[in-house]
Amino acid sequence: MLRLLRTTSFRFTIVYVLVFAVSVALLGALFYQATFAVVSKQTDMMIDQDMNVLAELFAAVGGGALVRVMKDRAAWRDDGLYLLLSAPSGALLAGNLTSLPPEALRANEAFFNFSFERTRVDGAGREIGVEPREARGKIRRFRASPDAETSLLVFIARDISGREALRSQSRGQITRIAIATVLLGLVIGLLFSRSLLRRVDSVNRTARAIRDGDLSRRIALTGAGDELENLAINLNAMLDQIERLMNGMREVSDNIAHDLRSPLTRIKGRLAEALKGDDAARAEALRATLEDSERMLSTFNALLSIARIESGEAAGAMEPVDLAAIVAELAELYEPAAQDAGFALEVKTQPAPPVWGSRELISQAVANLLDNALKYAEGGSTIGIAVRRNRDDRVQLSVRDDGPGVPAGEREHVLKRFVRLEASRTSQGSGLGLSLVSAIARAHGASLTLSDAISSPNPRGLNVTLNFRSADTRVSPAASARAPRELTAQAQ
Amino acid sequence: MRILVIEDDAETAAYLSKGLREAGHVVDHALDGEVGLNMAGAGDYDALVIDRMLPKLDGVSLLTRRREAGDETPALFLSALGEVDDRVKGFEAGGDDYLVKPYAFPELLARVEALGRRRSAPANVTTRYSVGDLEIDVLTRTVRRASKRIDLQPREFRLLEYLMRHADQVVTRTMLLENVWEYHFDPQTNVIDVHISRLRSKIDKDFDKALLKTIRGAGYTITDAD
Repeated sequence: MLRLLRTTSFRFTIVYVLVFAVSVALLGALFYQATFAVVSKQTDMMIDQDMNVLAELFAAVGGGALVRVMKDRAAWRDDGLYLLLSAPSGALLAGNLTSLPPEALRANEAFFNFSFERTRVDGAGREIGVEPREARGKIRRFRASPDAETSLLVFIARDISGREALRSQSRGQITRIAIATVLLGLVIGLLFSRSLLRRVDSVNRTARAIRDGDLSRRIALTGAGDELENLAINLNAMLDQIERLMNGMREVSDNIAHDLRSPLTRIKGRLAEALKGDDAARAEALRATLEDSERMLSTFNALLSIARIESGEAAGAMEPVDLAAIVAELAELYEPAAQDAGFALEVKTQPAPPVWGSRELISQAVANLLDNALKYAEGGSTIGIAVRRNRDDRVQLSVRDDGPGVPAGEREHVLKRFVRLEASRTSQGSGLGLSLVSAIARAHGASLTLSDAISSPNPRGLNVTLNFRSADTRVSPAASARAPRELTAQAQ
Repeated sequence: MRILVIEDDAETAAYLSKGLREAGHVVDHALDGEVGLNMAGAGDYDALVIDRMLPKLDGVSLLTRRREAGDETPALFLSALGEVDDRVKGFEAGGDDYLVKPYAFPELLARVEALGRRRSAPANVTTRYSVGDLEIDVLTRTVRRASKRIDLQPREFRLLEYLMRHADQVVTRTMLLENVWEYHFDPQTNVIDVHISRLRSKIDKDFDKALLKTIRGAGYTITDAD
């Protein structure tokens, strides 16, 4: 409960409730004032009118007529009008009140409120008790002439019991509404805060579970589609990425352990043998060991490069680059080697917009693909490199060979680290080439697709396609380079 | 050459020093940045080999301070960091070369010796180089051997020019990739070797003496010596 009171949403609620309560109180006060002031004024006006009529009557026809009229008027029952006419001596001449209320003389000729007890009468004229009444009225002294010694005292009042009851009722009502507003606000605020807190708690619980080592946990989505949901979706995506990286790392360390353990074991065995052998054997062992350690170093280098590229470091060094130029330079570097290995290197480039990337990394990716083609496209005769502008302004770079290719089922697999197909186990290579290419593609937000280079009559050859977004259509290269992009491996 | 190795890992330092001494150099060695800075200031070295991560004072700051003090001794950075950005930082601090760990010793040796050469033949405008009877003119971009003109492709010319600038020194494949092709990665295939053999077929094939030699396990050198 205490936590609930400390939440931000509850604090907001308090502020809102206060604002609402003040508004309700103000509105109530205005309504109260407007209604009752008007009614009160009306009563006063009616009394003044009556008084004026009587005054005119008195001036025109004199005291006798006044007494008669007032007696007549007073004979009506229960219309809320109280009258009294008293002689200068104080004797009652007419009216429906037994005596002048004591407040009358004190108020002089101004309006005053008073209360008194009135006898209740049933239909047959029998008295059945008394009831308290509220009334408002004033007195006026009627003189025959301005300087007359004596005067008649006229008192007119109107019953305001109903109005007063309504007034106090309204006051109560307004107070109750104000209290209800505050209470309702607090309750809604608490409920709202609790549901918010529950959702934040679910995020916190997930975070704690992850901190405690359960990386597979995700924040439960409520389907509300609001900003909290968006936050949860983003956090989940971030967790996915972290998990992917962690798994990648675990896989790498497993693979390093595996791939380095075997050469190390081999070296150890060879050296132990060499210790027992003659000079020639020792020299041979050293030479083989040197070769092994060089291979291990290059494996290390490749792993470090992949790790560095995957950490997103490369994004900072990116600029608009011309794929056709990159490909032309690499083709120049590889042409002699390809020719020596019995391949024709065919370069086909179209004018294409620049892409956002690193010349160094893209060159390295293409170099790796060319290395692969030279190493694995046995029996092939042509290696093709092409750059072309695609639909929707993407620029496609592809390297294809007409060697044995990669079976469709294994394409996704070969992008992983250290994977070499059984068929190529015997040839040299760290098994890191394609995973480096895949890391570079990811760093550029480019899609990587493996397919058959030649689909009929019998599929063969490998076609590796990198699909880059052109530099001018990219909103934020750094941001989209970091976004995870799925790798696809599909047959054409 | 007098070489100062500033490297905090004692074993690596000992290995480097031993290798460099065997190659005929005089080697001093500092185990941290501050000692290295003092030694670099006190001794007259032909080249500095500086690890980027050092206790007390990191390699980049060390070299920055030497350069501010007007010391122009060529320096090579050794680093476990190898991205383009790190390389750029190294060069901005006044480094002349940059080698990423793990590296092969012949690579380091070749680069350090190339640095020393740069110093002894300062940047005066040499436009003609010759080794034995092979001559190149960088301005006219002509190559002659025994007064016979040889036609080279532009890239072949740059390759030969680089080798000639470093005549009598070992030049590694990586150095060629970095300086002739401007790539900072190593291809897994023998692309450089093929380029070298093409070049060799043009400059050595029709002559008695081969000038462009392969140094096994290290790289190439162009030399008139046997």
